[in-house]
Amino acid sequence: MKNSLSFILISLIAFSSFAQEKVLLVNGFLHVGNGETLQSALIGIEKGKITLIKNSLAYTVDKNEWDTIIQLNGRHIYPGFVAPNSTLGITEIDAVRATRDFNEVGSLNPHVRSQIAFNTESKVISTVKTNGVLLTQATPRGGVISGMSSVMALEGWNWEDATVRQDDGIHLNWPESIDRGNRWESNAKIEKSKTYEEHKREIYSFFEMAKAYSSTDKNDNKDARFEAMRQCFKGKQRVYIHANEIQQLVDIIDFSKAFDLPFPVIVGGYDAYLIPRKLADAKIPVMLLRPHSLPENENDAVNLPYQLPFLLKQGGVKFCLQNEGDMEAMNARNIPFLAGTAMAHGLTEEEAISSVSLWACEIMGIGENYGSIEKGKSATLFVSDGSALDMRTNNLFLGMIDGKFITLNNTQSELFEKYQGKYK
Amino acid sequence: MKLYSFIFAICFLSHLTAQINPLNGVKESKPTYYALKNATIYVSPDKIIKNGTLLIKGDKIEKYGTLISIPKEAVEIDCSDKVIFPSFIELNTDIGLPKLERKGREEQPQIDSEKSGSGYWNEAIHPEVKASEMYKVDAKANKELIEKGFGFALSRQKDGIAQGTGIFVSLGSTDFTALKMSKDLSFYSFSKGVSRQSYPSSQMGSIALLRQAFYDAAFYASHAQRENNALKALNDQKSGVQFFDTRDKLEIQRAQKIGEEFNIQFVYLGSGNEYDIVNELKIKKPTLVLPIDFPEAYDVKNPYVSRQIPLSQLKHWELAPMNPSILAQNKIPFSISSNGIKTSADFWSNLRKAIELGLSESDALKALTVTPAGIAGFSSQLGTLEENKYACFVIYSKNPLTEKAEILESWSMGEQTILKASSPESIAGKYNLLIDNQKFKIDITGDPDKYKGKLTYSTTASELIKDSTTNLFVDQIGNDVTFQFNIKDSNWNGSVTLQGKANSKLGIFEGDGLLPTGKWVKWSAIKLEKAKAEKEDVKANVSDTAKHLWFPNMAFGLDSLAKKENIVIKNATIWTGEEVIQNGSVVVQNGKIAFVGDGNFKTPTNARIIDANGKYVTSGIIDEHSHIAISNGVNEGGQAISAEVSIRDVINPDDINIYRQLAGGVTTSQLLHGSANPIGGQSAIIKLKWGETAENLLLDNQPKFIKFALGENVKQSNWGDYNTIRFPQTRMGVEQLYYDAFSRAREYAKNKKSNPNKYQVDLELETLLEILDGKRHITCHSYVQSEINMLMHVADSMGFKINTFTHILEGYKVADKMKDHGAGGSTFSDWWAYKYEVNDAIPYNAAIMHNQGITVAINSDDAEMGRRLNQEAAKSVKYGKMTELEAWKMVTLNPAKLLHIDDRTGSLKVGKDADIVVWSSNPLSINAIVEQTIVDGAVYYDKDTDALLQQKNQAEKARIISKMLDANSTPDAKTQPFFKRKKGHYHCNTLGEELSTEENHH
Repeated sequence: MKNSLSFILISLIAFSSFAQEKVLLVNGFLHVGNGETLQSALIGIEKGKITLIKNSLAYTVDKNEWDTIIQLNGRHIYPGFVAPNSTLGITEIDAVRATRDFNEVGSLNPHVRSQIAFNTESKVISTVKTNGVLLTQATPRGGVISGMSSVMALEGWNWEDATVRQDDGIHLNWPESIDRGNRWESNAKIEKSKTYEEHKREIYSFFEMAKAYSSTDKNDNKDARFEAMRQCFKGKQRVYIHANEIQQLVDIIDFSKAFDLPFPVIVGGYDAYLIPRKLADAKIPVMLLRPHSLPENENDAVNLPYQLPFLLKQGGVKFCLQNEGDMEAMNARNIPFLAGTAMAHGLTEEEAISSVSLWACEIMGIGENYGSIEKGKSATLFVSDGSALDMRTNNLFLGMIDGKFITLNNTQSELFEKYQGKYK
Repeated sequence: MKLYSFIFAICFLSHLTAQINPLNGVKESKPTYYALKNATIYVSPDKIIKNGTLLIKGDKIEKYGTLISIPKEAVEIDCSDKVIFPSFIELNTDIGLPKLERKGREEQPQIDSEKSGSGYWNEAIHPEVKASEMYKVDAKANKELIEKGFGFALSRQKDGIAQGTGIFVSLGSTDFTALKMSKDLSFYSFSKGVSRQSYPSSQMGSIALLRQAFYDAAFYASHAQRENNALKALNDQKSGVQFFDTRDKLEIQRAQKIGEEFNIQFVYLGSGNEYDIVNELKIKKPTLVLPIDFPEAYDVKNPYVSRQIPLSQLKHWELAPMNPSILAQNKIPFSISSNGIKTSADFWSNLRKAIELGLSESDALKALTVTPAGIAGFSSQLGTLEENKYACFVIYSKNPLTEKAEILESWSMGEQTILKASSPESIAGKYNLLIDNQKFKIDITGDPDKYKGKLTYSTTASELIKDSTTNLFVDQIGNDVTFQFNIKDSNWNGSVTLQGKANSKLGIFEGDGLLPTGKWVKWSAIKLEKAKAEKEDVKANVSDTAKHLWFPNMAFGLDSLAKKENIVIKNATIWTGEEVIQNGSVVVQNGKIAFVGDGNFKTPTNARIIDANGKYVTSGIIDEHSHIAISNGVNEGGQAISAEVSIRDVINPDDINIYRQLAGGVTTSQLLHGSANPIGGQSAIIKLKWGETAENLLLDNQPKFIKFALGENVKQSNWGDYNTIRFPQTRMGVEQLYYDAFSRAREYAKNKKSNPNKYQVDLELETLLEILDGKRHITCHSYVQSEINMLMHVADSMGFKINTFTHILEGYKVADKMKDHGAGGSTFSDWWAYKYEVNDAIPYNAAIMHNQGITVAINSDDAEMGRRLNQEAAKSVKYGKMTELEAWKMVTLNPAKLLHIDDRTGSLKVGKDADIVVWSSNPLSINAIVEQTIVDGAVYYDKDTDALLQQKNQAEKARIISKMLDANSTPDAKTQPFFKRKKGHYHCNTLGEELSTEENHH
């Protein structure tokens, strides 16, 4: 009963609140996001920023100093979780073509930007943030270079409000190193190396042209594609390279060196556990594929996809989790449980939390402001009744993005309430 | 063999046919009496005579033996050092018949047959097709078979499910020569071939279609009033030999079931992996026709590629060449076919490989001669070289079963065809060559067909003596040899040509030569050493491979089948499904639960003790909606109603997902037909007994189920503009389809009742009748409340029940109506937004339905999610505030209830099946990991054993890959690149026989 009262209370606050308010969260179990924890934590928030982190027991609260004081009674505080590499917000219903806004025509589209297609009113988004996932990287798909992603908050009146980092990087789909037979022809046999080398050459030559173009800003013939890639060589943008197989990964390391890319990131990385030293030495981080996947090969360990996060951690590779795959937009709300599964299979609880918060933010270049609950950072966080990584106890008590409370209702809880009326 | 009658009609040679050909010119005579002497004669597989004589008179063998006086009028042929085999008989070919091609894609799917005339309604059933009406001599194709030692072939058009009859032709005659068959030799398969008709689109559809056709034929035989060529042909063929062409060992088992139903003993054209079902084949001992197109070694030099080759394929590569010998050891009768092998060199080398790996020469010969002759009904005329049989044989330079031999002559019914003059003895070797007192060394390698030569000579340049080599052209015709080389030294500059005679036995040449100077000289050469004979095949270590047949024969396969054990699990926290017992024990005996509780119990003898201190024990998870372990299609989407098809017919026990799901605590799965049509196919309930056969996976005496479906999938909403003509295309049509189907079923029942001995069996309506009679339960794929409500209305008015609505994502809107109807719900925990009709899906659905008193289960419909259904159940605690025990029931006891198997499984109760999971912690916790999974009292998954199996996988892979590397490195080794198939599995909406890799719309 008490719970539901505070539920309503917070909902009210949510509707009436402004980021300018001063909010104090008292007596929560703080998971900082960087591996540290603090029991009985007290967190002060001002103008959307975290201004105070203390031990509740050792701090005397001056009630007049704060607009809102919320007692957490030992609930768990987490940095907002992140859904990197996702079509959340740029698709709504997978099977309805009109709602699919993530795959542009053409194979080399670095200039195509997801940011402006991001639908802040997405009903799917409303069900994702209520599980603690508060940021996403809206990521285009398809072609060789799919386009540019942007890091978005899951709350905002429009895409401008919701933008956390505009055009954070381009997404390059590395060609398949092993040809996968056409599913309609059982004996479609194409020599593996032929197309692979050719496609790789195409990427090299495109990057060579782009790099040459970016060496001056006095280009006579403007090329939208190369303009878009300028920052990839200057270090302001990431180059996200989607690949899973070891041959690809090894070649990506060479590729990144050849172009002296400041921030290459591997997305997928199923085989990364086989070459952790190489990746660690090359300082290439990995946005690891969805742990809730089937093993790729018949003889892979049954639990290998669950264990990959631990194996990368052990191997010293910087990584975070992501959720690309079947129904990824809707499934983004299960990202906390991906981290939970990684915890069950080797990561410590705090490492599992980092893998969906701070590490993801660092890889996307927003680690200074987001991803952990530290003084000076954005107040993008949530409070759960129990462990947010466990299905049974992931229950949001409150959540905020840049200090602004999110609504804890969503389209689904509203339908639930509505039909409770039917069965009274 | 006793099945085949040995009395046959008289056969005719072409020049002895009943018709009389007019003559152009004067009559020519050919000798008709031959004596082949001094030969090694393989009279029959078990009778070999050396230095024997074979007397041939006309088209027959008159006599054979060692002490035969040769009649004067016979033409004598000396066969010293030569070997005579009876001609082989090929049973699996389509030579001389037109190749059919599938019509290209057209604007719309083709629902009806486009054939006119008196045939079957489905274009894949054309038993009336006769090869004899289409056959034309194809000399080139004949020659290819002759070079493989064959003299006769049973040819038929390889197309369709009921393919028609074959023709038994002689390959050696230039004119058309076919032996008259005493009975139909007909062919069947599960592949629909070039038919573009949409039905069948799956293997289970092919199975149902063929069964229906056999039923139709039976009805036709007794009651037909209208002529039908196809049905007539089907009936005629029953008294002949019926061949079944298979693409996999599982297809043999599937066809055998059909054979049992219609009392047909098929002869199976095999695929090469029959070794894997030899224990099952031993029971009925069907006759097989085996291919020997063994897989080539994969190119494993690149470790990045080789690591992705599935262990199952590596193991198959190793075992395939042993297929014939394993079957022979187990006394399974078989014939050998050259089907699938392009070159004669490959055929012979594969045959020899099979012999090296344990197939006896006599078994090999039998499989190529006597057995196929018997199968086709020509035992009295062909297959051996005994008196009075047709003179059909092949003369080889050596025994081709043991070493590379040349085919010299092929005789077909007394007609001689010389294929090759006996090659002269090879002159390969090293020689000292002396020309006009100049000494050279020459080195000749290669075959008489194509020699390579090198000549070495010394040159003196600035006081240094240097050896130079130059290419030597070598040619040999009979005993004549020609050498030519170019040379530049102090004596000669230009071309030297030598012509001479060889005495290869002594290793000496001599003759005349022309020098660059224009001078003619004498030359001679003396052999130093013989060239080393190339060893053709690497001997494999037989014992090393035989023990490597695993159950199943792939990664994580077991050395032997898991056995029922006595088991005591103690000190556990037990969730029985009804209550929680702290510090309790579970005892398993004879596959059943013998004790559950915290009291005293009797420890059975030899019990495995599992100390579950700190662990949780539950009954096994039951997945109400699964599509794993199915092969060749999950949907028969070719028609809107496919009640006649059954998933039970297409269980695939070799699906790795069985093992993966055991590792997630699943012990029982309902394998459902997909959702492509309003009335889908029959379901199968399996226990996940990894390693067992398809038949043994099936739950004994299982309740019957069928899949229905509603919504976007059945009206083909998301399948593109191509699929827009099949009725229904709207929800309105779906309702009418149901009414109509059940009305027809009622009429059928009425007719059946009034004419119990004279009604036409309709497998589709029989199934619907089972529903009306309450003997088959319905699981209905459903999303939107309107149509859920509709179907319950249809059911109520037609007098049947919907047992389970599956998916049922809007069940929360009509839970009261479902409760009234008595339907259960099996739903996803939290899926939505993947298509328009799931826009109102909410994760609170399970809890709302549960609260309204409905039996609710959480299912997977997904091979990945199926292995963590415990997590999915836990979501009901989050979204519906369900208690842990109620949530847990949704993946155990509740699905058992929905499947009507809760009297045997679903909870831990004395007397129930011992389907048990030991968890590392609370099974609903995110930290829960499965430690052991027990099915029917046998441990099928154990976390520690799993670690060992992984090591074993690695070791086995390394062993085979190193063997393959050897194969890769032998000269002229053939390798195939490995092509990885996209990872795919079946979903509700997967069409066709292939696995889906596409967007999943469920």
